[in-house]
Amino acid sequence: MVTPVTVTMVLAAVVLSLLAIAMAWVLGWANKTFHVEVDPKVEAILDVLPGANCGGCGYVGCGEYAEAVVHADADVALCAPGGAGCAQRLAEIMGVEVTESAPYRAVVHCAAKRYQRLQQTPYDGEVTCASANLVGGVQGCTYGCLGLGDCTRACDYDAIHLVDGLATVDYEKCIGCKACARTCPRNIITMVPFKCERMLVVACSNQDKGPDVKAVCEVGCIGCTACSRKAELMHMEGNLPVVDYDRYDATADFTEARKKCPREGMLYVGKPSAEDLAAVAGETLPDRVEADFRTTVDDTEWRG
Amino acid sequence: MDTLIALIQIAIGAALINNFVLYYFVGICPFLGVSRRVDTAFGMGCAVTFVISIAATLSWAFTYFILRPEAPLPTWVWETLGGDPGTKVDLSVLSYIMYIFVIASSVQFVEMYVRKFFPPLYKSFGVFLPLITTNCAILFACLKILAELQDPEQLWGLHQALTLAVGGGVGFTIAICLMAGIREELDMCDVPKPLRGAGISLIVAGIMAMAFAGFAGMDSGIKDALAMFLK
Repeated sequence: MVTPVTVTMVLAAVVLSLLAIAMAWVLGWANKTFHVEVDPKVEAILDVLPGANCGGCGYVGCGEYAEAVVHADADVALCAPGGAGCAQRLAEIMGVEVTESAPYRAVVHCAAKRYQRLQQTPYDGEVTCASANLVGGVQGCTYGCLGLGDCTRACDYDAIHLVDGLATVDYEKCIGCKACARTCPRNIITMVPFKCERMLVVACSNQDKGPDVKAVCEVGCIGCTACSRKAELMHMEGNLPVVDYDRYDATADFTEARKKCPREGMLYVGKPSAEDLAAVAGETLPDRVEADFRTTVDDTEWRG
Repeated sequence: MDTLIALIQIAIGAALINNFVLYYFVGICPFLGVSRRVDTAFGMGCAVTFVISIAATLSWAFTYFILRPEAPLPTWVWETLGGDPGTKVDLSVLSYIMYIFVIASSVQFVEMYVRKFFPPLYKSFGVFLPLITTNCAILFACLKILAELQDPEQLWGLHQALTLAVGGGVGFTIAICLMAGIREELDMCDVPKPLRGAGISLIVAGIMAMAFAGFAGMDSGIKDALAMFLK
Protein backbone atom coordinates (compact mmCIF):
# COMPACT_ATOMS: atom_id res chain seq x y z
CA MET A 1 0.00 0.00 0.00
CA VAL A 2 1.51 3.31 -1.06
CA THR A 3 0.90 6.01 1.52
CA PRO A 4 2.34 9.54 1.55
CA VAL A 5 4.28 8.70 4.72
CA THR A 6 6.11 5.69 3.27
CA VAL A 7 6.80 7.55 0.06
CA THR A 8 8.21 10.48 2.01
CA MET A 9 10.44 8.22 4.08
CA VAL A 10 11.75 6.19 1.18
CA LEU A 11 12.15 9.27 -0.99
CA ALA A 12 14.06 11.08 1.77
CA ALA A 13 16.45 8.17 2.15
CA VAL A 14 16.92 7.83 -1.60
CA VAL A 15 17.41 11.57 -2.17
CA LEU A 16 19.95 11.91 0.62
CA SER A 17 21.89 8.82 -0.43
CA LEU A 18 22.00 10.00 -4.02
CA LEU A 19 23.08 13.44 -2.91
CA ALA A 20 25.80 11.94 -0.72
CA ILE A 21 27.07 9.75 -3.54
CA ALA A 22 26.99 12.62 -6.02
CA MET A 23 28.79 15.01 -3.66
CA ALA A 24 31.35 12.40 -2.71
CA TRP A 25 32.04 11.75 -6.35
CA VAL A 26 32.35 15.45 -7.18
CA LEU A 27 34.60 16.15 -4.23
CA GLY A 28 36.74 13.11 -4.93
CA TRP A 29 37.12 14.18 -8.51
CA ALA A 30 37.95 17.74 -7.44
CA ASN A 31 40.47 16.47 -4.93
CA LYS A 32 42.35 14.72 -7.70
CA THR A 33 41.92 17.34 -10.40
CA PHE A 34 42.66 20.35 -8.21
CA HIS A 35 45.42 18.64 -6.28
CA VAL A 36 48.17 21.05 -5.33
CA GLU A 37 51.61 19.59 -4.91
CA VAL A 38 52.80 20.39 -1.41
CA ASP A 39 56.49 19.90 -0.92
CA PRO A 40 56.91 16.89 1.43
CA LYS A 41 59.64 18.86 3.17
CA VAL A 42 57.12 21.56 4.09
CA GLU A 43 54.85 18.96 5.66
CA ALA A 44 57.74 17.33 7.50
CA ILE A 45 58.81 20.71 8.86
CA LEU A 46 55.25 21.52 9.90
CA ASP A 47 55.21 18.32 11.93
CA VAL A 48 58.39 19.31 13.75
CA LEU A 49 57.44 22.93 14.48
CA PRO A 50 55.59 23.46 17.78
CA GLY A 51 52.54 24.92 16.05
CA ALA A 52 52.21 27.74 18.58
CA ASN A 53 51.86 30.27 15.73
CA CYS A 54 53.51 32.85 18.00
CA GLY A 55 55.08 34.76 15.12
CA GLY A 56 58.40 35.03 16.94
CA CYS A 57 60.30 33.94 13.83
CA GLY A 58 59.01 36.98 11.95
CA TYR A 59 56.62 35.01 9.75
CA VAL A 60 52.86 35.03 10.11
CA GLY A 61 52.59 31.51 11.47
CA CYS A 62 54.30 28.15 11.56
CA GLY A 63 52.95 27.33 8.09
CA GLU A 64 54.50 30.38 6.51
CA TYR A 65 57.80 29.80 8.32
CA ALA A 66 57.87 26.21 7.01
CA GLU A 67 57.32 27.53 3.48
CA ALA A 68 60.06 30.09 3.97
CA VAL A 69 62.53 27.50 5.24
CA VAL A 70 61.98 25.32 2.18
CA HIS A 71 61.53 27.90 -0.55
CA ALA A 72 63.12 31.13 0.67
CA ASP A 73 66.21 29.80 2.48
CA ALA A 74 65.07 31.08 5.84
CA ASP A 75 67.32 30.20 8.76
CA VAL A 76 66.36 26.92 10.45
CA ALA A 77 67.10 28.29 13.91
CA LEU A 78 64.47 31.01 14.03
CA CYS A 79 61.90 29.10 16.08
CA ALA A 80 62.28 30.24 19.67
CA PRO A 81 59.66 27.98 21.31
CA GLY A 82 61.09 24.95 19.50
CA GLY A 83 64.60 25.76 20.66
CA ALA A 84 67.77 23.95 19.69
CA GLY A 85 66.13 20.54 19.23
CA CYS A 86 63.69 21.92 16.73
CA ALA A 87 66.46 23.71 14.83
CA GLN A 88 68.46 20.48 14.73
CA ARG A 89 65.58 18.48 13.27
CA LEU A 90 64.78 21.21 10.73
CA ALA A 91 68.42 21.18 9.68
CA GLU A 92 68.23 17.38 9.23
CA ILE A 93 65.15 17.69 7.03
CA MET A 94 66.72 20.43 4.96
CA GLY A 95 70.16 18.79 4.88
CA VAL A 96 71.99 21.84 6.19
CA GLU A 97 74.14 22.59 9.19
CA VAL A 98 72.69 24.47 12.13
CA THR A 99 74.52 27.72 12.48
CA GLU A 100 75.47 27.96 16.10
CA SER A 101 72.85 29.98 17.84
CA ALA A 102 72.06 30.84 21.39
CA PRO A 103 68.50 31.11 22.60
CA TYR A 104 67.41 34.73 22.54
CA ARG A 105 65.73 36.06 25.65
CA ALA A 106 64.02 39.34 26.35
CA VAL A 107 65.99 41.93 28.31
CA VAL A 108 64.49 45.12 29.73
CA HIS A 109 66.99 47.91 29.37
CA CYS A 110 65.87 49.88 32.38
CA ALA A 111 66.61 49.31 36.06
CA ALA A 112 64.67 52.13 37.66
CA LYS A 113 62.00 51.02 40.09
CA ARG A 114 59.06 53.36 40.30
CA TYR A 115 60.43 55.21 43.35
CA GLN A 116 63.77 55.71 41.61
CA ARG A 117 62.23 57.66 38.74
CA LEU A 118 62.11 61.39 39.30
CA GLN A 119 59.85 64.16 38.08
CA GLN A 120 56.77 61.98 38.06
CA THR A 121 53.37 63.50 37.44
CA PRO A 122 50.17 61.72 38.46
CA TYR A 123 48.74 60.00 35.41
CA ASP A 124 45.04 59.20 35.34
CA GLY A 125 44.65 58.14 31.75
CA GLU A 126 44.20 54.73 30.24
CA VAL A 127 46.44 52.30 32.07
CA THR A 128 48.60 51.22 29.15
CA CYS A 129 52.14 52.23 28.27
CA ALA A 130 51.02 52.94 24.70
CA SER A 131 48.65 55.64 25.93
CA ALA A 132 50.94 57.02 28.63
CA ASN A 133 53.75 57.26 26.08
CA LEU A 134 51.63 59.66 24.04
CA VAL A 135 51.39 62.06 26.96
CA GLY A 136 54.44 64.08 27.92
CA GLY A 137 55.66 64.32 31.49
CA VAL A 138 54.29 61.14 33.05
CA GLN A 139 57.83 60.73 34.34
CA GLY A 140 61.01 62.67 33.77
CA CYS A 141 62.81 59.95 31.81
CA THR A 142 61.51 59.79 28.28
CA TYR A 143 63.42 56.58 27.55
CA GLY A 144 62.76 54.27 30.47
CA CYS A 145 60.08 51.82 31.51
CA LEU A 146 56.65 53.33 32.07
CA GLY A 147 55.59 50.45 34.28
CA LEU A 148 52.02 50.10 33.06
CA GLY A 149 52.42 46.54 31.90
CA ASP A 150 51.81 46.41 28.14
CA CYS A 151 54.54 43.76 28.01
CA THR A 152 52.89 41.73 30.79
CA ARG A 153 49.66 41.65 28.83
CA ALA A 154 51.48 40.82 25.60
CA CYS A 155 53.23 37.81 27.13
CA ASP A 156 51.49 34.51 26.50
CA TYR A 157 53.86 32.66 28.81
CA ASP A 158 53.44 34.62 32.05
CA ALA A 159 57.13 35.47 31.89
CA ILE A 160 57.25 39.23 32.40
CA HIS A 161 55.81 41.02 35.39
CA LEU A 162 55.83 44.42 37.02
CA VAL A 163 58.00 44.49 40.12
CA ASP A 164 57.87 47.87 41.85
CA GLY A 165 56.60 49.35 38.61
CA LEU A 166 59.45 47.93 36.55
CA ALA A 167 58.99 45.27 33.89
CA THR A 168 60.99 42.26 35.06
CA VAL A 169 61.55 39.13 33.00
CA ASP A 170 61.18 35.70 34.60
CA TYR A 171 63.89 33.76 32.78
CA GLU A 172 62.52 30.44 34.00
CA LYS A 173 59.48 31.04 31.82
CA CYS A 174 60.67 33.28 28.98
CA ILE A 175 60.85 31.43 25.68
CA GLY A 176 62.08 34.37 23.60
CA CYS A 177 59.00 34.91 21.41
CA LYS A 178 59.62 38.70 21.20
CA ALA A 179 56.00 39.55 21.94
CA CYS A 180 57.03 41.98 24.71
CA ALA A 181 59.80 43.52 22.60
CA ARG A 182 57.32 44.21 19.83
CA THR A 183 54.70 45.71 22.08
CA CYS A 184 56.89 48.00 24.21
CA PRO A 185 56.12 51.53 22.95
CA ARG A 186 59.53 52.77 24.13
CA ASN A 187 61.44 49.90 22.54
CA ILE A 188 63.48 49.24 25.67
CA ILE A 189 63.09 45.45 25.48
CA THR A 190 65.60 43.78 23.18
CA MET A 191 66.42 40.17 22.47
CA VAL A 192 69.83 39.14 23.83
CA PRO A 193 71.51 35.83 22.91
CA PHE A 194 71.88 33.91 26.17
CA LYS A 195 75.27 32.34 25.63
CA CYS A 196 75.56 31.43 29.30
CA GLU A 197 73.13 31.22 32.15
CA ARG A 198 73.83 34.70 33.42
CA MET A 199 74.26 37.55 30.98
CA LEU A 200 75.51 41.03 31.66
CA VAL A 201 73.22 43.64 30.22
CA VAL A 202 73.21 47.41 30.20
CA ALA A 203 70.13 48.29 32.19
CA CYS A 204 69.44 51.76 30.88
CA SER A 205 68.18 53.23 27.65
CA ASN A 206 68.62 56.91 28.38
CA GLN A 207 70.70 58.58 25.67
CA ASP A 208 70.88 61.96 27.40
CA LYS A 209 73.94 63.57 29.01
CA GLY A 210 74.84 62.83 32.63
CA PRO A 211 73.23 65.83 34.39
CA ASP A 212 69.98 65.34 32.47
CA VAL A 213 69.89 61.66 33.44
CA LYS A 214 70.61 62.49 37.09
CA ALA A 215 67.71 64.92 37.06
CA VAL A 216 65.23 62.24 36.04
CA CYS A 217 66.57 58.98 37.49
CA GLU A 218 68.39 57.68 40.55
CA VAL A 219 70.01 54.70 38.85
CA GLY A 220 70.27 55.49 35.12
CA CYS A 221 73.51 55.46 33.16
CA ILE A 222 75.19 58.85 33.01
CA GLY A 223 77.47 57.95 30.14
CA CYS A 224 80.73 58.29 32.12
CA THR A 225 82.45 55.74 29.80
CA ALA A 226 84.26 54.13 32.80
CA CYS A 227 83.00 50.65 32.00
CA SER A 228 83.97 50.82 28.35
CA ARG A 229 87.53 51.58 29.38
CA LYS A 230 87.67 48.73 31.91
CA ALA A 231 85.97 45.96 29.93
CA GLU A 232 87.19 44.89 26.58
CA LEU A 233 83.75 43.77 25.40
CA MET A 234 82.09 47.11 26.01
CA HIS A 235 82.12 50.23 23.93
CA MET A 236 80.14 53.45 23.84
CA GLU A 237 77.40 54.20 21.37
CA GLY A 238 76.21 57.73 21.98
CA ASN A 239 75.89 58.14 25.73
CA LEU A 240 75.30 54.48 26.47
CA PRO A 241 77.69 51.55 26.77
CA VAL A 242 76.98 48.55 24.59
CA VAL A 243 78.01 44.94 25.26
CA ASP A 244 79.42 43.10 22.27
CA TYR A 245 77.38 39.89 22.39
CA ASP A 246 79.09 38.45 19.30
CA ARG A 247 82.29 37.94 21.27
CA TYR A 248 80.63 37.43 24.68
CA ASP A 249 81.26 34.13 26.44
CA ALA A 250 81.13 32.70 29.93
CA THR A 251 84.72 33.70 30.68
CA ALA A 252 84.19 37.40 30.01
CA ASP A 253 85.10 39.35 33.13
CA PHE A 254 83.16 42.48 33.95
CA THR A 255 84.10 42.75 37.63
CA GLU A 256 86.27 45.83 37.18
CA ALA A 257 83.76 47.57 34.97
CA ARG A 258 80.95 46.91 37.42
CA LYS A 259 83.05 48.19 40.31
CA LYS A 260 83.78 51.41 38.45
CA CYS A 261 80.17 52.08 37.56
CA PRO A 262 78.93 54.98 39.71
CA ARG A 263 75.29 54.06 39.04
CA GLU A 264 73.47 50.74 38.61
CA GLY A 265 73.97 50.70 34.90
CA MET A 266 74.93 47.06 34.48
CA LEU A 267 73.05 44.03 35.72
CA TYR A 268 73.38 40.30 35.49
CA VAL A 269 70.13 38.70 34.35
CA GLY A 270 69.20 35.06 34.00
CA LYS A 271 69.77 32.36 36.56
CA PRO A 272 71.21 33.45 39.96
CA SER A 273 74.90 32.81 40.42
CA ALA A 274 76.27 30.16 42.77
CA GLU A 275 77.30 32.84 45.29
CA ASP A 276 73.85 34.37 45.30
CA LEU A 277 72.28 30.96 45.88
CA ALA A 278 74.75 30.19 48.66
CA ALA A 279 74.04 33.53 50.29
CA VAL A 280 70.35 32.79 50.65
CA ALA A 281 70.70 29.05 51.23
CA GLY A 282 70.15 29.33 54.99
CA GLU A 283 67.05 31.47 54.73
CA THR A 284 63.74 29.76 55.23
CA LEU A 285 61.18 30.59 52.65
CA PRO A 286 57.96 32.16 53.95
CA ASP A 287 55.04 29.81 54.42
CA ARG A 288 52.49 29.59 51.74
CA VAL A 289 50.04 32.44 52.02
CA GLU A 290 46.50 31.25 52.50
CA ALA A 291 43.60 33.19 51.09
CA ASP A 292 42.09 35.70 53.46
CA PHE A 293 38.59 36.34 52.31
CA ARG A 294 38.24 39.56 54.27
CA THR A 295 40.62 41.17 51.84
CA THR A 296 38.72 40.30 48.72
CA VAL A 297 37.09 43.71 48.59
CA ASP A 298 36.36 45.11 45.19
CA ASP A 299 39.48 47.04 44.31
CA THR A 300 38.41 47.64 40.74
CA GLU A 301 39.48 51.05 39.57
CA TRP A 302 36.70 53.06 38.02
CA ARG A 303 37.68 56.09 36.12
CA GLY A 304 36.19 58.46 33.58
CA MET B 1 9.38 47.51 -12.93
CA ASP B 2 7.61 46.06 -9.91
CA THR B 3 10.06 43.15 -9.97
CA LEU B 4 13.00 45.54 -9.84
CA ILE B 5 11.47 47.48 -6.96
CA ALA B 6 10.79 44.22 -5.15
CA LEU B 7 14.39 43.10 -5.68
CA ILE B 8 15.81 46.40 -4.38
CA GLN B 9 13.50 46.10 -1.41
CA ILE B 10 14.74 42.57 -0.70
CA ALA B 11 18.37 43.70 -0.98
CA ILE B 12 17.99 46.74 1.28
CA GLY B 13 15.87 44.71 3.65
CA ALA B 14 18.52 42.02 3.99
CA ALA B 15 21.46 44.45 4.15
CA LEU B 16 20.14 47.13 6.48
CA ILE B 17 16.61 46.87 7.82
CA ASN B 18 16.67 43.20 8.75
CA ASN B 19 20.45 42.92 8.95
CA PHE B 20 21.37 39.29 9.58
CA VAL B 21 23.72 40.07 12.42
CA LEU B 22 22.09 43.04 14.06
CA TYR B 23 18.41 42.20 13.60
CA TYR B 24 18.27 38.40 13.58
CA PHE B 25 21.46 37.86 15.62
CA VAL B 26 22.80 35.09 13.42
CA GLY B 27 26.48 34.87 12.49
CA ILE B 28 27.51 36.38 15.85
CA CYS B 29 30.48 34.03 16.15
CA PRO B 30 32.58 35.46 13.27
CA PHE B 31 31.09 38.87 14.01
CA LEU B 32 32.82 38.85 17.40
CA GLY B 33 35.72 36.57 16.53
CA VAL B 34 37.13 38.18 13.41
CA SER B 35 36.35 41.83 14.12
CA ARG B 36 39.61 42.89 15.68
CA ARG B 37 41.01 44.61 12.62
CA VAL B 38 39.15 46.24 9.76
CA ASP B 39 41.10 44.54 6.96
CA THR B 40 40.57 40.98 8.23
CA ALA B 41 36.96 41.84 9.01
CA PHE B 42 36.51 42.97 5.42
CA GLY B 43 38.11 39.74 4.17
CA MET B 44 35.72 37.73 6.32
CA GLY B 45 32.78 39.77 5.03
CA CYS B 46 33.78 39.14 1.42
CA ALA B 47 34.23 35.43 2.08
CA VAL B 48 30.79 35.20 3.69
CA THR B 49 29.17 37.08 0.81
CA PHE B 50 30.83 34.74 -1.63
CA VAL B 51 29.86 31.55 0.17
CA ILE B 52 26.34 32.76 0.93
CA SER B 53 25.72 33.40 -2.80
CA ILE B 54 26.86 29.91 -3.76
CA ALA B 55 24.96 28.27 -0.92
CA ALA B 56 21.79 30.24 -1.73
CA THR B 57 21.95 29.29 -5.42
CA LEU B 58 22.40 25.61 -4.69
CA SER B 59 19.89 25.41 -1.90
CA TRP B 60 17.34 27.35 -3.94
CA ALA B 61 17.69 24.73 -6.69
CA PHE B 62 17.36 21.82 -4.25
CA THR B 63 14.46 23.44 -2.44
CA TYR B 64 12.64 24.40 -5.62
CA PHE B 65 12.88 21.00 -7.28
CA ILE B 66 12.95 18.60 -4.31
CA LEU B 67 12.17 20.03 -0.91
CA ARG B 68 9.19 22.36 -1.17
CA PRO B 69 5.67 20.90 -0.72
CA GLU B 70 4.72 20.99 -4.41
CA ALA B 71 8.17 20.32 -5.82
CA PRO B 72 8.35 18.51 -9.16
CA LEU B 73 10.41 15.50 -8.01
CA PRO B 74 8.27 14.19 -5.10
CA THR B 75 5.07 14.99 -6.99
CA TRP B 76 6.29 13.05 -10.00
CA VAL B 77 7.32 10.06 -7.86
CA TRP B 78 4.02 10.16 -6.02
CA GLU B 79 1.94 10.23 -9.16
CA THR B 80 4.03 7.57 -10.91
CA LEU B 81 3.39 5.27 -7.98
CA GLY B 82 -0.30 5.86 -8.53
CA GLY B 83 -0.94 8.12 -5.56
CA ASP B 84 -3.89 10.44 -5.27
CA PRO B 85 -2.98 13.78 -6.97
CA GLY B 86 -4.78 15.68 -4.20
CA THR B 87 -2.27 14.61 -1.49
CA LYS B 88 1.17 16.15 -1.38
CA VAL B 89 4.47 14.56 -0.46
CA ASP B 90 6.48 17.09 1.51
CA LEU B 91 10.24 16.60 1.88
CA SER B 92 10.95 19.85 3.71
CA VAL B 93 11.88 17.88 6.86
CA LEU B 94 15.17 17.31 5.07
CA SER B 95 15.90 21.02 4.80
CA TYR B 96 18.47 21.39 7.62
CA ILE B 97 20.52 18.30 6.87
CA MET B 98 20.42 19.02 3.15
CA TYR B 99 21.50 22.65 3.53
CA ILE B 100 24.40 21.84 5.83
CA PHE B 101 25.40 19.09 3.43
CA VAL B 102 25.23 21.38 0.42
CA ILE B 103 26.97 24.30 2.12
CA ALA B 104 29.80 22.19 3.52
CA SER B 105 30.54 20.36 0.31
CA SER B 106 30.26 23.43 -1.93
CA VAL B 107 32.65 25.31 0.35
CA GLN B 108 35.07 22.38 0.21
CA PHE B 109 34.82 22.39 -3.55
CA VAL B 110 35.32 26.14 -3.82
CA GLU B 111 38.29 25.95 -1.47
CA MET B 112 39.99 23.33 -3.62
CA TYR B 113 39.22 25.25 -6.78
CA VAL B 114 40.52 28.54 -5.45
CA ARG B 115 43.61 26.85 -4.03
CA LYS B 116 44.47 25.40 -7.41
CA PHE B 117 43.72 28.32 -9.67
CA PHE B 118 43.95 31.48 -7.55
CA PRO B 119 46.73 30.97 -4.96
CA PRO B 120 46.90 34.66 -3.95
CA LEU B 121 43.16 34.73 -3.32
CA TYR B 122 43.47 31.48 -1.37
CA LYS B 123 46.18 33.04 0.76
CA SER B 124 44.11 36.11 1.54
CA PHE B 125 40.81 34.50 2.43
CA GLY B 126 41.32 30.79 2.14
CA VAL B 127 41.78 30.58 5.90
CA PHE B 128 38.29 31.96 6.44
CA LEU B 129 36.54 29.52 4.13
CA PRO B 130 36.53 26.45 6.41
CA LEU B 131 35.42 28.67 9.28
CA ILE B 132 32.22 29.68 7.56
CA THR B 133 31.05 26.31 6.29
CA THR B 134 28.65 26.03 9.18
CA ASN B 135 28.17 29.73 9.77
CA CYS B 136 24.59 30.20 10.93
CA ALA B 137 24.15 33.36 8.83
CA ILE B 138 24.47 31.20 5.73
CA LEU B 139 22.14 28.50 7.01
CA PHE B 140 19.76 31.27 7.97
CA ALA B 141 19.71 32.65 4.42
CA CYS B 142 18.91 29.16 3.11
CA LEU B 143 16.10 28.70 5.64
CA LYS B 144 14.68 32.09 4.74
CA ILE B 145 14.61 31.06 1.10
CA LEU B 146 12.89 27.83 2.15
CA ALA B 147 10.24 29.82 4.04
CA GLU B 148 9.53 31.91 0.94
CA LEU B 149 9.36 28.81 -1.26
CA GLN B 150 6.99 27.01 1.11
CA ASP B 151 4.51 29.81 0.65
CA PRO B 152 2.83 29.20 -2.75
CA GLU B 153 1.90 32.89 -3.07
CA GLN B 154 5.53 34.05 -2.80
CA LEU B 155 7.38 31.24 -4.60
CA TRP B 156 10.68 33.03 -5.06
CA GLY B 157 12.70 32.63 -8.21
CA LEU B 158 16.48 32.28 -8.26
CA HIS B 159 16.93 36.03 -8.77
CA GLN B 160 15.10 36.84 -5.55
CA ALA B 161 16.97 34.19 -3.59
CA LEU B 162 20.30 35.43 -4.90
CA THR B 163 19.40 39.06 -4.14
CA LEU B 164 18.58 38.11 -0.57
CA ALA B 165 21.86 36.23 -0.23
CA VAL B 166 24.05 39.00 -1.65
CA GLY B 167 22.15 41.64 0.31
CA GLY B 168 22.60 39.60 3.47
CA GLY B 169 26.30 39.14 2.77
CA VAL B 170 26.79 42.86 2.18
CA GLY B 171 24.86 43.56 5.38
CA PHE B 172 27.16 41.18 7.25
CA THR B 173 30.20 42.92 5.76
CA ILE B 174 28.86 46.34 6.79
CA ALA B 175 28.14 45.16 10.31
CA ILE B 176 31.48 43.39 10.86
CA CYS B 177 33.52 46.28 9.38
CA LEU B 178 31.72 48.83 11.57
CA MET B 179 32.31 46.59 14.56
CA ALA B 180 36.00 46.22 13.71
CA GLY B 181 36.38 50.00 13.32
CA ILE B 182 34.80 50.57 16.71
CA ARG B 183 36.92 47.88 18.34
CA GLU B 184 40.11 49.36 16.90
CA GLU B 185 39.19 52.67 18.56
CA LEU B 186 38.13 50.84 21.70
CA ASP B 187 41.69 49.64 22.24
CA MET B 188 42.61 53.22 23.11
CA CYS B 189 39.72 53.71 25.51
CA ASP B 190 39.57 53.39 29.24
CA VAL B 191 37.16 50.48 29.59
CA PRO B 192 36.22 49.50 33.15
CA LYS B 193 38.07 46.32 34.07
CA PRO B 194 35.08 43.94 34.42
CA LEU B 195 33.87 44.87 30.95
CA ARG B 196 37.12 44.45 29.02
CA GLY B 197 37.21 42.00 26.14
CA ALA B 198 34.04 40.14 25.30
CA GLY B 199 31.89 42.21 27.65
CA ILE B 200 32.38 45.56 26.00
CA SER B 201 32.20 43.95 22.54
CA LEU B 202 28.77 42.54 23.30
CA ILE B 203 27.62 45.89 24.69
CA VAL B 204 28.87 47.64 21.55
CA ALA B 205 27.08 45.03 19.42
CA GLY B 206 23.89 45.66 21.37
CA ILE B 207 24.13 49.42 20.89
CA MET B 208 24.81 48.88 17.18
CA ALA B 209 21.74 46.65 16.99
CA MET B 210 19.66 49.42 18.58
CA ALA B 211 21.06 51.89 16.05
CA PHE B 212 20.17 49.53 13.21
CA ALA B 213 16.67 49.24 14.64
CA GLY B 214 16.34 52.82 13.39
CA PHE B 215 16.11 51.44 9.86
CA ALA B 216 12.87 49.65 10.72
CA GLY B 217 9.91 51.11 8.89
CA MET B 218 12.06 52.41 6.02
CA ASP B 219 10.61 49.64 3.91
CA SER B 220 7.42 51.27 2.63
CA GLY B 221 9.14 54.64 2.28
CA ILE B 222 11.79 53.10 0.01
CA LYS B 223 9.09 51.41 -2.03
CA ASP B 224 7.27 54.72 -2.63
CA ALA B 225 10.48 56.59 -3.38
CA LEU B 226 11.63 53.95 -5.87
CA ALA B 227 8.23 53.85 -7.54
CA MET B 228 8.33 57.64 -7.99
CA PHE B 229 11.95 57.64 -9.14
CA LEU B 230 11.57 54.83 -11.64
CA LYS B 231 8.42 56.18 -13.27
